[in-house]
Amino acid sequence: MSVAIRRSGFDRAVLALLCILAFAWMLPLLWVLALSFKPNEFLMSRTDAFLAPPYTLANYLNILQTSQVFRWVLNSVVVAMGQTVGVVVLSSLAGYGFARTEFPGRRLVFALVIFGLAIPSQSIFIPLHRMFSHWGLQNTYAGLMLPGLAAPFGVYLMTQYFRAIPAELEEAAMLDNASRLKTFLRVILPLSLPAQATLAIFTFLAAWNDYLWPLVIATKPEMYTLTRGLASTQTNFAQSEGLGFLMSQAVFAGLPVLTVYVFFQKYLVSAVAGTGRRTEAKA
Amino acid sequence: MSAGRFLLRAAAVALAACVASGCGPTRAADADAAKPGPVEIDLMRFFGSCDATYGNNTDPRAAVGECGILTSLVNEFNAQNKGRIVVRTQIGEWGPYYDQLNARLVASDVPAVAVMHESMLGDYVRRKLVEPLDADFAQVGIDTNDFTAHAHRGVTFAGKTYALPFDTWSWLWHFDMGLMKKAGLVTAEGKPVLPHSPDELLAQARQFRKATGKPYFAWAAANEPSANTRTFLTLVYQQNGKVFADDGRAINLHTPEVEKALDLMQALYDEGDVKPGQDYASSNQSYLNGDVGVLIVGTWTIAQFMSEAKKPDSPLHAGYYVTPFPTLYARPAIFADGHSWVLMKGGTPDARSRAAALQLMKFLYDHDGDWARTGHLTTRKSVAESADFKALPFRAELAEITSTGVSIPNNVGTQRAVENLIGEDIGNIVVSHKPRAKALADIEKRVNAQLRRGHH
Repeated sequence: MSVAIRRSGFDRAVLALLCILAFAWMLPLLWVLALSFKPNEFLMSRTDAFLAPPYTLANYLNILQTSQVFRWVLNSVVVAMGQTVGVVVLSSLAGYGFARTEFPGRRLVFALVIFGLAIPSQSIFIPLHRMFSHWGLQNTYAGLMLPGLAAPFGVYLMTQYFRAIPAELEEAAMLDNASRLKTFLRVILPLSLPAQATLAIFTFLAAWNDYLWPLVIATKPEMYTLTRGLASTQTNFAQSEGLGFLMSQAVFAGLPVLTVYVFFQKYLVSAVAGTGRRTEAKA
Repeated sequence: MSAGRFLLRAAAVALAACVASGCGPTRAADADAAKPGPVEIDLMRFFGSCDATYGNNTDPRAAVGECGILTSLVNEFNAQNKGRIVVRTQIGEWGPYYDQLNARLVASDVPAVAVMHESMLGDYVRRKLVEPLDADFAQVGIDTNDFTAHAHRGVTFAGKTYALPFDTWSWLWHFDMGLMKKAGLVTAEGKPVLPHSPDELLAQARQFRKATGKPYFAWAAANEPSANTRTFLTLVYQQNGKVFADDGRAINLHTPEVEKALDLMQALYDEGDVKPGQDYASSNQSYLNGDVGVLIVGTWTIAQFMSEAKKPDSPLHAGYYVTPFPTLYARPAIFADGHSWVLMKGGTPDARSRAAALQLMKFLYDHDGDWARTGHLTTRKSVAESADFKALPFRAELAEITSTGVSIPNNVGTQRAVENLIGEDIGNIVVSHKPRAKALADIEKRVNAQLRRGHH
């Protein structure tokens, strides 16, 4: 009894501590949210008023009245969705190839893919841009999407996942005269749905939040993604003169990401915690 | 539906959407060329977007702020040239603006006209990416002899004019006259008492602190390297000092002028005459909240501070005053730069679009006075002497900067990077007491490396 009470007390203390930490972690986000409802002029002199008036919706109205903002949302959706589907398809195919097939140079090619994980994307930025602009892909969806399809992390993740699936399942399918492709599509792929979901979420978030590549490859306003477009509306000294607008942009751009998190948090949390396998086993 | 089919279908849908929405290269330019009707030219700029407020405004006098006035000017130009010219504004962010412009040049997606800091212009002139404009200016009626001294220096390279100067911006002292009065630092005419030497400045700062309990200055010492550089170079230039070699390819900070400038900055900071740890936004806040007597920042804040001073509940109420950075040494000199408009090489593929771009430049030249309402200084002598300009608050006093403004010499390459490299370590000296000898050696090493790269 006393052990149970002690444990209950300990649990509550841990819970309280976690709540405090969670609040501390959320404080900057709450601050952003609060400032987004304040007039820019007010924020020039005060940024410490969380709940006190004045309040305004003008910052959000400014975003919505920006002529191309919905075009930018659409562009972001097209690019993020296209990149997500592309990465999941390509990584699944490549991962299966590396995990389950034998071909000359497999180890070397896989090592090259893994090496890709260690290369910061910024270091290949200039040659990548020169290549894409040479191909005439500046200001195109293809230009925005294609570089993101080379996803070493996705290939690595899927390879490791496929390796963990018992080979007997595949052998059984082949004994039933299923082709390699059919085995992949009908047996292996369904078992890897949790990993695909994890990869899809990470890819979508990365593509949605990407700013640097759209900055150089999309130079016409009609091809801006949301991050790029919203940034272009900022005045030169936005941190001082347009802080409320800046904060409302952060909230506006973050909403779709928050939505994705709400609907897919099970996969996201399991991916971060490294327990995707268990989710799969239950499925 | 199986996962495999789902994936295949999703991929097919994405591909179809991509094709339908134009995955491939855009052919807008080709289509434009074949299309009869108005000629369309691209104008690339920073200054933000304010469609929501000024998207349909064609009267620049009814607009405020950089974005508002420029948006209205372009709207007015488009309205005046309806059916003949359409200017398409393409906005880049201030921070990565030049990265984006460079990316466009690499991709042959060149805007016809682009805004450019005069401090950046040299890099583009040396790389032959902008057009010389003397003959065109003469043809459309832009008089280069009307350019102010600072503006003329800023856009002229080897005797050729490479840009239309649009403004001169500089480093000012914005005063809180309420606090200055409390400190006994106001003249009989109601103007601030300005120091004329480093010793006078230190004495006034001490007097101010004693009377008000507040630091004399706020300036952005942290996270704003270029602000440190501007103050530092102003102090060096006022001593007739120089830091760059005549050929612009090396920096030397081992001079008595540099030492004196740093002595003053450090003394002010160490004595508590500068509010510590301030970045751009917080130094502005300190000033607006009445926490300091003087804010050192640029011309672009004048309109906002005046507006703040009109509010009855503002600590700055009825107490705003602004002057050029006072002369503390022998020579009246202030760090200054300017915004200009360039005609990008390859941005006007035919005579019609080139003529349209030049017509836009002439329009902007004619409206330089409207732009001066932002707080920036005019680049035209005739405008500076006009009653309209002089009627703008404080401009009569600030107009001297159009001749006393000093920039980094225009044969120094990659000036933005150089400004940041200098400012970072000056901030380290002043704020965190990095040993001065080490900091100066570091600046020289890093800037010289940068200059070597910049000239390759």
